[in-house]
Amino acid sequence: MNSEWQTVIGIEIHAQINSKSKLFSSSSTEFGSAPNTQVSLVDAAMPGMLPVINKFCIEQAVKSGIGLNAKINKKSIFDRKNYFYQDLPQGYQISQFKDPIVGSGSIEIEIDGTKKAIGIERLHLEQDAGKSLHDQDPNLTFVDLNRSGIALMEIVSDPDMASPEEAVAYVKKVRSILRYLDTCDGNMEQGSLRADINVSVRKKGESLGTRCELKNLNSFKHITSAINFEVARQIKIIENGEEIKQETRLYDVSSDTTKSMRSKEDAHDYRYFPDPDLLPLNLDEKWIEKIKNELPELPDEKKDRFITQYKISNYDAEVLTSDRQTSEYFEEVISNRNPKLVVSWVASELFAALNKENLSIENSPVNSKQLGELIDEIEKGTISNRAAKEVFEEMCVSKKSVQEIINDKGLIQISDTSEIEKFINQVLVDNPINVEKYKNGKTKLLGFFIGEVMKVTKGKANPGLLNQIVKKKLDN
Amino acid sequence: MLENLTIEQTSKLLNSKKASALEITSHYLKKVSDANKLNCFITVSEDHAIKAAIQTDNRISKNKKIGLLDGVPLAYKDLFCTNEILTTASSKILSNFIPTYESTVTSNCQKEGAIVLGKLNCDEFAMGSTNKTSFYGPVINPWKSNESDEDLVPGGSSGGSAASVAADLCIASLGTDTGGSIRQPASFTGLVGLKPSYGRVSRWGVVAFASSLDQAGPICKTVEDASILLEAISGHDKKDSTSSIEPNEHFYKNLNSSVKDLKIGIPKEYLSDDLPEEIQGYWNEGKKILSENGAEIVEISLPSTKTALPAYYIIAPAEASSNLSRYDGVRYGLRVKGENLTEMYELTRSEGFGDEVKRRIMMGTYVLSSGYYDAYYIKAQKVRSIIKSDFDLAFKSVDAIFTPTTPNTAFPISKEELDPVQNYLNDIFTVPANLAGLPAISIPFGLSKSGLPIGMQLITNTFKEQTLLNIAKNLQDSINFNIYPNQWWK
Amino acid sequence: MIEFNKKITLKLAKLSRLSLSNSQLENLEKDLTSILSFIDQLKEINTDSIDPTSNSLDQNLILRDDLAEDVLSNEKLLQNVPESELGFFVVPKVIE
Ligand SMILES: [Mg+2]
Ligand SMILES: [Zn+2]
Repeated sequence: MNSEWQTVIGIEIHAQINSKSKLFSSSSTEFGSAPNTQVSLVDAAMPGMLPVINKFCIEQAVKSGIGLNAKINKKSIFDRKNYFYQDLPQGYQISQFKDPIVGSGSIEIEIDGTKKAIGIERLHLEQDAGKSLHDQDPNLTFVDLNRSGIALMEIVSDPDMASPEEAVAYVKKVRSILRYLDTCDGNMEQGSLRADINVSVRKKGESLGTRCELKNLNSFKHITSAINFEVARQIKIIENGEEIKQETRLYDVSSDTTKSMRSKEDAHDYRYFPDPDLLPLNLDEKWIEKIKNELPELPDEKKDRFITQYKISNYDAEVLTSDRQTSEYFEEVISNRNPKLVVSWVASELFAALNKENLSIENSPVNSKQLGELIDEIEKGTISNRAAKEVFEEMCVSKKSVQEIINDKGLIQISDTSEIEKFINQVLVDNPINVEKYKNGKTKLLGFFIGEVMKVTKGKANPGLLNQIVKKKLDN
Repeated sequence: MLENLTIEQTSKLLNSKKASALEITSHYLKKVSDANKLNCFITVSEDHAIKAAIQTDNRISKNKKIGLLDGVPLAYKDLFCTNEILTTASSKILSNFIPTYESTVTSNCQKEGAIVLGKLNCDEFAMGSTNKTSFYGPVINPWKSNESDEDLVPGGSSGGSAASVAADLCIASLGTDTGGSIRQPASFTGLVGLKPSYGRVSRWGVVAFASSLDQAGPICKTVEDASILLEAISGHDKKDSTSSIEPNEHFYKNLNSSVKDLKIGIPKEYLSDDLPEEIQGYWNEGKKILSENGAEIVEISLPSTKTALPAYYIIAPAEASSNLSRYDGVRYGLRVKGENLTEMYELTRSEGFGDEVKRRIMMGTYVLSSGYYDAYYIKAQKVRSIIKSDFDLAFKSVDAIFTPTTPNTAFPISKEELDPVQNYLNDIFTVPANLAGLPAISIPFGLSKSGLPIGMQLITNTFKEQTLLNIAKNLQDSINFNIYPNQWWK
Repeated sequence: MIEFNKKITLKLAKLSRLSLSNSQLENLEKDLTSILSFIDQLKEINTDSIDPTSNSLDQNLILRDDLAEDVLSNEKLLQNVPESELGFFVVPKVIE
């Protein structure tokens, strides 16, 4: 990209609250049920039906607001956003407009060690719409209202991001915070977390350009591709002397482009007004305090603690705390163990294994207790690091214990000095020429002797001891 | 024996086994079918009624103690959703809608053993004060002027609820009141009509017109009956977020007609030269009675009175325009096929809604649309705050406010208003109580020179229904109205 | 005072999803103008320091517990549906 251009990005995240029932009705939020089987009379907007708000959803919104370092508004109002759509049964969405439950806040993202604050404008509660299927019949659209009325938190950022990397880092960070707080499961494939990205470009020093909104992106890869395409498109238009039209665009995966969905001209007049079926929501200061005090440790705090407590690098701490489950796994493994060893086993070996099988850490074939046991064997010197990798591979596919695998494979390390000496003596006897060369100053050959001993012991010789004894013998 | 029965009388008849519930119910069903001319009923639920009557009789035959509503034939405005009984809101758009659920209010009545004769005609979506906006045609007032044979309006929007009780087609009925829709028709038909405090009665399952104003309430022959029905339908409902947590009261048992030492306010703003002399006359008579019975009459001021009607005609259409968006032909009700979704919406709604409903939807859309929201909608909500605080202030010095219910008596159905605002003026005395959420009652006072009923209104502070009913009973007992129209329709 | 002209009336009709004939539009224009001149009285009232009231009930919003206890069968949900297919509500094809 031409460097005289700047990109300005603001993001609206819709995060589904992990409640059992919907925001204003008691029907289930279970994913993947048969169409229109989780729709109450309220969700279907039958005549005379009224909304009653879910207390848990309010708690989750407040928790999330605190996690985003944002102001919790003691009084908030639910408004109706009026528009007609086949998957919006009431003809309006209950949302929050002028007085959201959470006001402004800020979070920090980090790219290549550089930190940047991203402002949060607000977080508000609203209902999700139903789902439309357009490909079931050539002339008809099918509507499933199972999603209709599910509780969403809409988190609106300030236009503080300047690149797709920052945008992705921001969404990842918000997702991570919500997952730490356990307010949203963050499952992007199932649509539990989706992002609307507002993109505009401008030349350095100029005022903000006209923005386009890229709707409903549900993967980090799509966010990156959509922004890249959109930025290039906008620059090209401006460089051709034309103007950007403010519009909503959809990212099309197959062509890797964005396409116009609707323009500002046919934008709706939403006629927001306070929902007369709902009274204002007043939150008690003590109640907010209580939630604040019960909040779990968040990613930034945890990262700082990991660095000081375990003396691990900023980079490792970042990797290990970006996800709550990973950080918990790490801490389960680390108790009284060598941090360096644990970091390398979790961040390298375990991550590689999970990536290969495309598994999340919750579904890891090796649990934290098992990995701890394996690391103990390394620390005790029972097995070598190399052997440990072999054991780990086996652990990923079998249900056997660490001990069983070590025994079955005969991987116990030889740490008995006299036994190691026996192997060394044999190697020295078998290689008189190299012994001679070593003694004449070619000390690099140390590695050769160690390698030979490892060969005959099938790698089981304790490397520390081996090194020490070989040297002693040759230097005599 | 079975003419013009009240709830109290019916209950006595049943308990003393002088009549069976089935007899009474059949008698009323016959009356209903003999009164088709009045067009009170949209649906007669004969089978349900007979079944319920037999159940009451079974309870009685087992010598079970039965409640006051048990075996009493009632009818409901067709705005209450009734399980497996057609519910239309008098609109073409719901002309095929059969709910799978029962409104809290009607279900409360049924739990007490009340018998449902059917669903009563009303203005479409309760929008009107003449009952002429119904898709099912106008309801005809059982009262006639002694000067002409012309059919008169029963008032509205609960026109069927009033006419059916006045014509004795049911013992009492339920209506809804958004800007006077219970009190005005009660006044036009010589009945007692009560609008409870906002939040006293659940709105769950009642087709919404204007959510912040709608309240269901009884239309009855006596204040006693109104107390019984109010008690039955009241109480907190966890399915309605605007339902009050105020405890329910025993309005009937605690009914007492003493007005001694009560202060009754007469708002000077309600007096105008336009008020017909005979209405003025009954108003004065009421003051005299109350005063003679020991109350103190105080002149008060409600300076914001004249702002209530314009504020109402912003707020009610605004809420209605949004509440009626759900009638889109997708999930229930009328659907008119279209080439695409928008066309289907437009054709369905254009054919499904009548002119008055369209007018209000358009007006509501206008006052909420960008650029006009602050000037109209927010302005009206602020005016509403002023109206409320006017009342708050007044109730610091008085226990109740006494006014006429309407500025007129029932008028001919054929009277066409060229300007919709003329129709809106019917609600001038009733609307303030809705905006402020106050309970209010209309009680019959007498007949006009041309022989038409005139009602007076009492308003008390929120949740002071007992005081309201007590004063109403005092007036009722002093006036002893007790007149029914002659049954010309038979 | 604002007059309802055809453009505003048409825009309102479109927002309200009502298709109206020319004569209906004309009548509505007239009616709405008259209603508007009636409600315009409020402009004279000073409301500067007044908070709006959207519901007169003075009570905290009541909160419900998070229980997924409301179950409605697909059959009952669709009891009044004008058109359905395989348990779905069906509308004319919507092109996105
Ligand atoms: Mg948005
Ligand atoms: Zn949203």
